[in-house]
Amino acid sequence: MKKRVGILLVFALLFIGFLANWTYSYYQGLEEAYIPVHETSDIPVIPSEKKVFERSRYALDYLNMPVDENHQRTLDTYYNNRAYPGAPPSIPHPVKEKLGMGANVCLQCHQNGGFVEKFNAYAPVTPHPEMINCKQCHVEQQTQSTFVATNFYKKPAPDVGVNNALPGSPPTIPHQLQMRENCLSCHAGPAAVKELWIDHPERVNCRQCHVPKKQEVKNVELFVRANTNLK
Amino acid sequence: MPIKSYLVHPSEGKKAKLTQQLSIMEHCEVLPAENEEVLILVTETNSKQEEEILKEKLEQISDIKLMAMVSGFDTPKNA
Amino acid sequence: MYQSVHTNRRDFIKKMAMLSAMTAAASMFPGIIFAKEQEEGIPAGANLDWKKAPCRFCGVGCGVLIGTENGKAIAVKGDPKSPVNKGLCCVKGYHSIMAMYGKDRLTKPLVKKNGRYVQTSMKEALDLVASKMQETIKDHGKDAVSIYGSGQWTIPDGYVASKLFKGCIGTNNVEANARLCMATAVTGFLTSFGLDEPMGCYEDIDHADTFVLWGNNMAEMHPVLFSRLLDQRLKRGVKIIDFATRTTRTSMAADKSIIFNPQTDLAVANAICYEIINNGWMNKAFVEEHCNFSKGLTKMGYGLEDNYKFTDKPESISFGDYKAFLEDYTPEKVSKLTGVSVKDIKYLAAHFGDPNKKVMSFWCMGMNQHSRGTWINNLVYNIHLLTGKISSPGNSPFSLTGQPSACGTVREVGTLTHKLPHGVVMNKEHREFAAKIWDVPVENIPSKPTYHTVEMFRALDRGDIRFMWIQVTNPMVTMPKLKRYRDGAKKEGRFIVVSDIYPTPTTDIADVILPSAMWVEREGMYGNSERRTQYFEQMVEPPGEAMSDTLQLIEVAKRMGFEKQFYYKDETHIEEIYTEYRRHHDNKKHNMAPLEVLKSQSGAMWPYVDGKETKWRFNAKYDPACSNGKDFHFYGKKDGKAIIWQRPYEPAAEEPDTEYPYWLGTGRVVEHWHTGSMTRRIPVLHQAMPHAYVELHPDDAKRLQIRTGDKVKLTTRRGEITLPASVNERGVPAPMQVFVPFFDENMLINDITLDSFCPISKEPDYKKCAVKVEKA
Repeated sequence: MKKRVGILLVFALLFIGFLANWTYSYYQGLEEAYIPVHETSDIPVIPSEKKVFERSRYALDYLNMPVDENHQRTLDTYYNNRAYPGAPPSIPHPVKEKLGMGANVCLQCHQNGGFVEKFNAYAPVTPHPEMINCKQCHVEQQTQSTFVATNFYKKPAPDVGVNNALPGSPPTIPHQLQMRENCLSCHAGPAAVKELWIDHPERVNCRQCHVPKKQEVKNVELFVRANTNLK
Repeated sequence: MPIKSYLVHPSEGKKAKLTQQLSIMEHCEVLPAENEEVLILVTETNSKQEEEILKEKLEQISDIKLMAMVSGFDTPKNA
Repeated sequence: MYQSVHTNRRDFIKKMAMLSAMTAAASMFPGIIFAKEQEEGIPAGANLDWKKAPCRFCGVGCGVLIGTENGKAIAVKGDPKSPVNKGLCCVKGYHSIMAMYGKDRLTKPLVKKNGRYVQTSMKEALDLVASKMQETIKDHGKDAVSIYGSGQWTIPDGYVASKLFKGCIGTNNVEANARLCMATAVTGFLTSFGLDEPMGCYEDIDHADTFVLWGNNMAEMHPVLFSRLLDQRLKRGVKIIDFATRTTRTSMAADKSIIFNPQTDLAVANAICYEIINNGWMNKAFVEEHCNFSKGLTKMGYGLEDNYKFTDKPESISFGDYKAFLEDYTPEKVSKLTGVSVKDIKYLAAHFGDPNKKVMSFWCMGMNQHSRGTWINNLVYNIHLLTGKISSPGNSPFSLTGQPSACGTVREVGTLTHKLPHGVVMNKEHREFAAKIWDVPVENIPSKPTYHTVEMFRALDRGDIRFMWIQVTNPMVTMPKLKRYRDGAKKEGRFIVVSDIYPTPTTDIADVILPSAMWVEREGMYGNSERRTQYFEQMVEPPGEAMSDTLQLIEVAKRMGFEKQFYYKDETHIEEIYTEYRRHHDNKKHNMAPLEVLKSQSGAMWPYVDGKETKWRFNAKYDPACSNGKDFHFYGKKDGKAIIWQRPYEPAAEEPDTEYPYWLGTGRVVEHWHTGSMTRRIPVLHQAMPHAYVELHPDDAKRLQIRTGDKVKLTTRRGEITLPASVNERGVPAPMQVFVPFFDENMLINDITLDSFCPISKEPDYKKCAVKVEKA
């Protein structure tokens, strides 16, 4: 009898142990299955702010680059290649790759620039390398002639050297910033247009001194002080 | 057409005077450092002979403690 | 190269020759400066007379050279000799002189008669101010008159104001707008170290390896200092960490951007301390030798009610108590509340904890305009004290300022209700000391502080204050919960005098408007954030009858019968005042440089002892005032030890709820300075940033169907305002938050902000209240 009770007791203990163990691991399992939700604070990117700093890691290289006078672009050739100031430039050289959208083929030269023997010129650096469908906006010129002449008025480009308010004060930015937020890509390095080349690329935070000439925000009605001594 | 640049160390306390003196000399361009006792001199002459004359003139200036040439170029006349 | 380059080959070679010489010079003399870069933009033959001055705008205190021609200021360049900015300015600095030439400049005094402003002469206007002040004192007592100045007061302005009101008239009704911006920094310093103002200096930037920016959009607000950070990153690869509630230009430039929920910086700072202690990163020797532990009262309230009073009761605690307190702030516990991931908290802590890294913390309004501002200041000092990263080159908790002389005038001269140039009004010895120099009976100076700024305007509303003189500041744009204070100031029986240079919303409430001479139209000094006092001479004539604030105060003082105390001669008054002022600080801990020194160089940092400025205070190697024979001596406290404070997290006064579900924060933009009364009159700056806007997170904008330029209505418990939206432009607030810059007097965001303040510093929290956002 005693033996039987003993055996039963052992089984009962085993059973209780099993139950406890099972319950514990069940809840444990539940806990593990629960994936804690971390609120990820994704940091939004502000293109007009971010891109100013984008090529800044090359600033010291730009500073130390000698100026190659013989191969500098001029403002004239710069604007000749555009339908109007601010228009996407056309591709002034033949492109072998006809099928693709451009992407890495173009970026090989235009991401970081450099001297191209074949064209005897420095490749301009694109301010927006992340937009890889290059040929969506930049097209190859196959002919110099026109289908029919145009009456389109090409607005003169903004002048250089007249955009500062005081003698020696930093000039304001006379052009739109959309897709041109990266200052150093056009204003520094050997591919920079010589009239637009800056001698202090290492300052990096360009817009601390150079502010847009015209507001890009929508204008609200002109504010007039009610209490003023202006006649 | 030699063009040369020098680092000029003025005698003590003579930086301002020396700057003034050099800047009125022919063929000379001076750029004084703002915060150190040193100035940069760039000379541009029309011929070797002129260069020699200028050099002699410079050597006579007593306020120059030391003058070290940094770079020199000689360009063809019609460049 | 701004003008078109017309280089031929010869010019090019000449330039190369020049450049190679410059490079050679730079290798021999590191840090050598040639003025060429700045001068190149100046047209040849311009016959300019260049004179040095500190910049008129922010607290960085850049050295500028001002070019004058025919009695007019016509050009500005950065002063290459200034150790602050080394020749660089920001867009405001470069155009600063244009602030003097706005077309609506005030040139004649205006007195309000029957609701209209009538022009009068300066003599009559000053007579009126003096007689009105005497009349008010007679009818309502001394404490019914008050003066409200600013951190743009020059040192002499603030000094004579304090002398007149505290010493001569005998009221402590002296406050300045720095209460709205720097008061918390002051109480932070006083509670932790017992002495105000940073221990380090800007040179720390050249030594530090990591920069942590605490809610500080430095790229826009302190751009010139930020450019020094960027410069160090290019040269030495330092790390810049932006720790903020909003994504800004600084976040874009930084190596890492960490966003936290408003007010929870308290918890993150404690979590960093927890990590430092638990990972064994604490500098035990430093803490044992130089630090005590304390705790203060908690659940202090928010000062929303009139006549709110609070005094902290500090209590010593042990390191064990402090460690136990930090158990509530493990990164895991804190993460959910703050919105900062555990990884990011550990990342921050690791930068502070790494014994091989020198760390510099920067902050400004994010931590100061904070309903627990003194606490968060203490907590950041805790981090630096626990790791011993303080008071040595490159290891520096650095509190930045926003006004050119917030330090120099408000904090050092002490134009706050409780302050004297040396010490506080509550201390008998300090009163006696001041009274002696001021040549007044000691009984004149009341021993009790009266009103801090918010309470002062409440007193004006209630009628406890009847006369207020406002100089160089624009409270009718900057006061929180503005409507109450504007209505209060307009009440019958209040007399308001405003000294300013342009018509502003503050001159709109004035009974007398006095035209002031600004900046280099007079002589004066400013003191910047790194304890640097800078002198400027008069360079141009003020317009019309405009007169410096110093002279206005002296003239009124004389009319009130204080000729004896205001003995200064017209030609030499600035020198006389400064010499007298220096006597208040005649000790090793605060000695000011003599005027000749200030005139001959780009300012000097106090304590100026034996002809030498002190770059790192409390460090025996650099600071002659250290006297305990150890490496460091925090001599502001009696036992020479700094205090590590136990300060918990507490919520803000008003947090978003179902009715007002968004956070509203306010601040500045790079183009405009404070209320824009000067910068908006500079065409370049106005054209770049013509009006205020409300920034929304793109997700919120999408849900509310708002696009950039759309009108948005913001409603708080105080009122409503409509502004154009800005989505993904200058800055991006976190989801469920909006941001509005406060410079626009046409869109007064402060009409709807909350006037809660830090109970210890009494500085309002402009960064946090609850708001409802709707498409208008």
